[in-house]
Amino acid sequence: MDKCPDSREYELFCVIVNHGVGSKIIKFAKQHGISGATVILGKGTIKNHWLEALELFEIRREIVFVVAEKELGYSVMNEIEKKFDLKKPNHGIAFTFSLSNFLGARYCIFTKKVKREIGEKIMYNAVFVVVDKGQAESVIEAANSAGSRGGTIINARGSGIHETETLFSMAIEPEKEIVFIISKSDLTDPIVNKIREELKIDEPGKGIIFVLDVNKTYGLFNTK
Amino acid sequence: MNVLNEKLKEVFVSVFPITIIVFILHFTIAPVELYQLLRFIIGAVLIFFGLSVFLLGVDIGVSQIGHLMGSFLVKSNKVLIVGVIGLILGFFISIAEPDLHVLANQVDLVTSGTISKTSILVIVSIGIAVLMTIGLFRIIFNISLQKVFIGMYSLVLIFSLFSLPEYLAIGFDASGATTGAMTVPFILALAVGVSSLKKNGITSEEDSFGLVGITSIGPILSIVLVGLFLKQNKLSEVAVNQMSLSSSVLYPFIQKLPIIMSEIMLAILPLLVVFILYKLIVKDLSKRAFIRILKGLIYAYFGLVIFLLGVNEGFMEVGYIIGYKVASLNGQWIIVIVGFILGLVTVLAEPAVHVLTEQIEDITSGYVQKRIINIALSTGVGFAVALSMLRIVIPGIQLWHYLLPGFSAALLMTFFVPNLFIGIAFDSGGVASGPMTATFILAFSQGAASATQSANVLVDGFGMIAMVALTPLIALQIIGFIYKRKSGKRGI
Repeated sequence: MDKCPDSREYELFCVIVNHGVGSKIIKFAKQHGISGATVILGKGTIKNHWLEALELFEIRREIVFVVAEKELGYSVMNEIEKKFDLKKPNHGIAFTFSLSNFLGARYCIFTKKVKREIGEKIMYNAVFVVVDKGQAESVIEAANSAGSRGGTIINARGSGIHETETLFSMAIEPEKEIVFIISKSDLTDPIVNKIREELKIDEPGKGIIFVLDVNKTYGLFNTK
Repeated sequence: MNVLNEKLKEVFVSVFPITIIVFILHFTIAPVELYQLLRFIIGAVLIFFGLSVFLLGVDIGVSQIGHLMGSFLVKSNKVLIVGVIGLILGFFISIAEPDLHVLANQVDLVTSGTISKTSILVIVSIGIAVLMTIGLFRIIFNISLQKVFIGMYSLVLIFSLFSLPEYLAIGFDASGATTGAMTVPFILALAVGVSSLKKNGITSEEDSFGLVGITSIGPILSIVLVGLFLKQNKLSEVAVNQMSLSSSVLYPFIQKLPIIMSEIMLAILPLLVVFILYKLIVKDLSKRAFIRILKGLIYAYFGLVIFLLGVNEGFMEVGYIIGYKVASLNGQWIIVIVGFILGLVTVLAEPAVHVLTEQIEDITSGYVQKRIINIALSTGVGFAVALSMLRIVIPGIQLWHYLLPGFSAALLMTFFVPNLFIGIAFDSGGVASGPMTATFILAFSQGAASATQSANVLVDGFGMIAMVALTPLIALQIIGFIYKRKSGKRGI
């Protein structure tokens, strides 16, 4: 598989919306050329003393993860902001991260140009692996065999371009698992490559991996 | 938009249809008295608020206790603890269930004391306790759900061949009665608490369901087993239904309130005791969380009281009248169609249905959608009521003519359906037969039976719940089959 042209940059878009809106966002995003998205369920809170006393401050949310090429992503996000009224209070929020690595997309492997400045060396990376339900354990095994010290599994649902199904005209998004691994930056490449091999990420429809830079970490135990 | 708004909206959508259907029936083929209609409206409003508050309480309180207990059982890592606590828990939540007391009274009456109220209570509760413990062990020891269901239902079948058919009907009704509004959310959450600790994501998800299904076999099995030893003559016939005769609009509500309050107090007591014991013994619960769960229990308590008040005093009598009037009309097919429509809309207002669908969405991260489960449940229960009406209209059909092929089909389908849906389907059987069905739909079918010359109120009345518990098994497994066929990747 070829490297991406250097001009392309990929970003991770997170949209947090009320329960039930996630699927609509995925559908909307796909209509605008995004190749897939993953949703996890979350809970949010409302700040209000009365509601807190009545234990009514929790609200169900959905968090949508989309990895997209920067230009395309921004334009789609603008559309989403308009369409789902994110500017109004309590309609949701969205934010983006820039990725340092992205694998599993159909056409190419994206690796950010290394442009580390002196004295500002990034020590850790956050590796996200999105796979079909049930494969998270193999991901963690593969990562551990390459030197990772553990990982966190998040249940999710999502769909790529290969797997939109409808049932009674309702879109069904298959179940996924997201594995979240914090790795030392010198170990990131071996870990990612090991996962790639073991889970055949490069074949279409097998999942995606993306890597974020982490600025600071706390609580990581260093054995060296 | 906060949680309460969200719940109110959700409940409104599910209580509204049944209200509209009753109104349409009132203005067309089955007019009821004005005071009854007014009571029905008050009932609908009470159900609307009661159910919303109750579901909130389940979220904050009852489910949390279930999760805590489930995790505690597994973490104890001792078979003995799981066994003993499972048995005690099962026994007490069952014996505290108010619906079971009502049923036990009725059985005491119709068997003219041969099976006393106390013995029914104890028999059923032992059945619940044993099967719930088996269900817990199944999750821990990774025994396939399908094997447990096939094994248990085969036992039911074998025993019932040698036992009077009435016992089978009582058993099914007891099963519907014990899996009530307070116990089902708790058992559902218990299963999640136990299985959430599993390492493998797929089995953890699959094992979150099925415990209610297994538990609800308990009463059937134990009553049929007891029926083997009590070779009793035909059961005597006593009118089961007691209707309030007052034509006052508000009086029945006020009169019934203290009764329901004390009943539900009893039902919630085991949960409260278990929770306080947990807090005292395990001590890993922050004060904040403790208070939050207690508040949740208070919500659940008042919500359920208001809900049941609405159902019992507002809906039950109207159900009976509609059944009676529609069945008296010329053209017997009308009652079958009306039955279908009522079944369709009633199940949506069933409290445990909301708890189950929300849990399904949570566990599968939204992959199995609420709406699809609701559609399947509605259609299933619609058919259940329609078939029961058919049985009232055509005297030749007996209950086992439905149950035997129905359960055989449901068990056979387990071979073709993903494990997740086997659990969901068998759980939803116990979930669908909750307080709405046990009052409104049961009253409706009793009304229909008493208006039909050839029908027997007792025989045709009992067994209704069995049908409502059966059809969701088939409907949801069909959905599971469709999911299986449809999922998979294309265009790779």
